[in-house]
Amino acid sequence: MSEWMIELKGTTKRYGMLLANDHIDLRIPRGELLTLLGPSGCGKTTAMRCITGHQRPDEGRVLIDGRDVTDLPTHKRDLGMVFQNFALFPHMTVYENVDFPLMIRSLPHEERRQRVTDALRLVRMDELADRYPRQLSGGQQQRVGLARALVYRPSVLLLDEPLSNLDAKLREEMRFEIKELVTQLHMTAVYVTHDQGEALALSDRVAVMKAGRIQQIGTPREIFEQPNSLFVADFIGLSDFIKARVEAVETKSVWVAVKGLRVRVQTEALLRVGQEVTLFIRPTRVDLLEQGAPAGENVFAARVLKLTYLGDNIDYRVVLPGDWEIRVQTNGQQYIPAGSSIKVRLPAKFCHIIAE
Amino acid sequence: MVKTYTRGLWNGRLILSYTLLVCLSIVIFSPFVVIIVKSFGKGWFGKLWLPPTLTLDWYKWAVNVARLPEVMKNTIIVVAMAVAMSTIVGIFSGWAFGRRHIPGKEVLMSMILLPRMIPPITYALGIARIFYGLNLVNTHFGIALAHVTLCAPYAILVMSATFEGLDERMLEAASVCGANPLRTFFHVTLPQIMPGILSSMIFTFTTSYNEFTLTLMTYGPDTLTLPIRTYLAVGEGYWEVTSAMSVIMVLPSLLILFLIQRQVKPEQLVGGFKGL
Repeated sequence: MSEWMIELKGTTKRYGMLLANDHIDLRIPRGELLTLLGPSGCGKTTAMRCITGHQRPDEGRVLIDGRDVTDLPTHKRDLGMVFQNFALFPHMTVYENVDFPLMIRSLPHEERRQRVTDALRLVRMDELADRYPRQLSGGQQQRVGLARALVYRPSVLLLDEPLSNLDAKLREEMRFEIKELVTQLHMTAVYVTHDQGEALALSDRVAVMKAGRIQQIGTPREIFEQPNSLFVADFIGLSDFIKARVEAVETKSVWVAVKGLRVRVQTEALLRVGQEVTLFIRPTRVDLLEQGAPAGENVFAARVLKLTYLGDNIDYRVVLPGDWEIRVQTNGQQYIPAGSSIKVRLPAKFCHIIAE
Repeated sequence: MVKTYTRGLWNGRLILSYTLLVCLSIVIFSPFVVIIVKSFGKGWFGKLWLPPTLTLDWYKWAVNVARLPEVMKNTIIVVAMAVAMSTIVGIFSGWAFGRRHIPGKEVLMSMILLPRMIPPITYALGIARIFYGLNLVNTHFGIALAHVTLCAPYAILVMSATFEGLDERMLEAASVCGANPLRTFFHVTLPQIMPGILSSMIFTFTTSYNEFTLTLMTYGPDTLTLPIRTYLAVGEGYWEVTSAMSVIMVLPSLLILFLIQRQVKPEQLVGGFKGL
């Protein structure tokens, strides 16, 4: 029993001139749900295919449960996988689909029956065991896919954009279903997606990938609150970016000049006076204050340019002195008509600086 | 007023379409009717509308004199061999064409289709020349091999399309589930390409069963096939026996047509020819 369930040690994969995976180092502890997140073409699928064995890395090693499986064919790796297009066997019923891995493993009949029934009950598909995949909805098909991947209790579960082919509402429901199942069964899981909402909702840790490399890896909170690069900040959640220049450096904070305004930013980063940086803040972290609110740190006069009512929240465009336009999202309780003069506060601890 | 007008038009269309249908049927079926009547009739000469007496003599002749059972056996052996060889070639080539990236795929494909595009007689002589050298003339295997030049293109085409339609992810799913390549093939791949294999077999069967030109150049006294025997009987002047043999020859084809049209839709059968 190794501490790490999956290890990628410097795996590199090229497709001709394209470097799909560039020395990926990744260690996934037992029982963790890790998400590989990134835009299409970032190499997340290639990384997963190196784990499943559908691709052999050009360099580097792949370890599963401490065992080097780089040269082991897929069918000997003891993995479970859920596919984006479900990949159920169309000529088999739901029951036969789920039974397939057990039939391959030549388990005794009684045990097979028991396990298939249990697995189908787990994903609430036991009523439809006699149906064929084409008679099922997308969500039902994916539940069967999940049951097929879990029924033989593989050591690792891989999910390749399993919810992309489902409609929005179902997608949200199944996020939690999958998370619950994986936690309940104490499985190690790797989840590939380009949907940041899914990644944040599901994962123990998220690895954000870009151009074949892991850009940042951390808990959803770390990734969201402390992105280490413009790319990560931009890819996850909404952000407003603006160029700034460092004016003064204090312990654990700096003053930056943005369009003639001085903004204090809490940061541990090593910066020097005069350095050009990028300042960003999440639209949900900005406070909107009344016009008469007392002056304070990072409080600026502002005017509401326009707003978009989104139901659960309201999306404001606010302009600060010096034509600095920012986006602010508040909950729907606070309704300020367009054209109003207000004040905004940019809390120092939610302002981020990236020096690139 | 308008209603009567449209109804009149409707009736007109109905009459027109039925007329066309009947004409088409006459064109298609009248030769068969003549053959069938001829095979059962005796003394059907001159301006008689129907033969004066009916008889089964010509069928007896076909069996005893034209040695139809033996000819039938030859035909079945040749067809079976040709279908088997073409299907195997079709499965392997179809796999390569449908699932691999092959440089110059289109050129290769059109080369494979070449035997179907040009008159067989042009290369039948070449085949005969080679077969004489290899002692393949007057052997079942030789004739079947000659048929493969016509059958294999069909099989390859149909199987390529079939394999192209096979979902890669499904095979990956099978391997993740623990199935080795062999078991994946038998449990997942084969059931899904079965319709393709069947339609390929039907096409190659009819091609080989009907084949005349290539057989004419490669047959011998021990390997007469049905089309050749019928042709020879025409040359020998036995029109009635020829008719009887034609009727017998049509039966298997009709049987297959009957069987497949209950199982498969015609569009499915020619599904392999999309893009042609």
